Amino acid sequence: MNNTNRFINRTLILVVGIVLFAVGAGIVIVFAWSAAADWWTTFAAYAHTWLDDAITRTTIGNTTANWVAFGSLAAIAIVIVLLIVTLARLGGGRTNALIRTGGHDSADGRIVIDTGFASDALMKSLGERPEILFGRVSTANVRRKPMLHVSITPRQNTSPRHVADDVERLLDNLTALTGQHIPTYVSIHSGLRARLARDERGIA
Amino acid sequence: MSGNATFRRIIRRETHSPRTVAMVIAAVLSIVALAYLGIEIVLSLLLQPALLVSPVSAGDWLTGIPEQQPVWAIIAAASALAVIGIVFCVIALTPGRLPKHQMVTEGSAVLVDNAVIAAALAQYISDHTGIVRDRISVGVSHRVVDVTVSPDAGLPVVDTQIRELVASELEHYQLTRGVKTRVRTPQQHKGSYS
Repeated sequence: MNNTNRFINRTLILVVGIVLFAVGAGIVIVFAWSAAADWWTTFAAYAHTWLDDAITRTTIGNTTANWVAFGSLAAIAIVIVLLIVTLARLGGGRTNALIRTGGHDSADGRIVIDTGFASDALMKSLGERPEILFGRVSTANVRRKPMLHVSITPRQNTSPRHVADDVERLLDNLTALTGQHIPTYVSIHSGLRARLARDERGIA
Repeated sequence: MSGNATFRRIIRRETHSPRTVAMVIAAVLSIVALAYLGIEIVLSLLLQPALLVSPVSAGDWLTGIPEQQPVWAIIAAASALAVIGIVFCVIALTPGRLPKHQMVTEGSAVLVDNAVIAAALAQYISDHTGIVRDRISVGVSHRVVDVTVSPDAGLPVVDTQIRELVASELEHYQLTRGVKTRVRTPQQHKGSYS
């Protein structure tokens, strides 16, 4: 559970995909179809002249420096920085504060309940259950509101409804304990851990 | 509570792939390609020898591309590029649904891996029919539950009974999306006569 911007993810992938496809398909077409080859030769010659012209016109004094090169370098630098920023912003949204009461204008001051509190309370109860192999509790901000995430890996062959009901009951207890209902996302997982663990079932 | 916009958002996000891996690959490839281009431009500005190709000769090569040799190598490379491009486009545009089901609950959003449901169903069928657990395989997808039972020779398998068992257990799970049940009972297990 994180705040990765998925629209940006997909847009970036799509743009890179379209560029790669356009270049690859374009080259194949130029080789396979003589009309396309003719068109490309004409167009490229024109573009080449235009670019040469632009470079000569913007060349600074007696040097090789020209504004076309500087412009390209600036554009490249901007795009690279944007890409690095996008990479750096992946994930995020984690928080430690599960409940925050009042604010600085409240007479009682502010009370902050840590995720660790909910985590300890839930994990203590979950740990006593033999059908639960592994659990993890974390908090993330969803739409600026903290949301509890309880991730559970039960033993293989355990009824997911059983697990869900158990967790719901524990969450109700947590609500009673903290006096506040915390929106919670429960995920029940399978995986290597569940598959490798011994299938331990009581007598039904 | 499940109709809550925050829950809808989290359910939607957690049941679909964020495509982060493809995004990181695309971004890193772009950064490397652009950085290389930038370095070549700077080298040519400083009148230094190019690392691989100077921008000017690269431009000339591109202009005359229909006459470049070896044709097969260029076409192969270009085709590979186009295919990678298509793969990226498909990754970007397909929903990337993860194998999970949502359960109806009161105060929280609950998602279950399909494999958890499958294993639990198989165990339930085994408990209620006496068929060995290893002879039951259950596959759960977004819309279909696929049960394959191949009991030891001699044990009768009743299709409708298994169907009913699956239906009652699924009703108990209360998945938000209804699933169809398919039961397959291939030819009785052979080789256990000896």
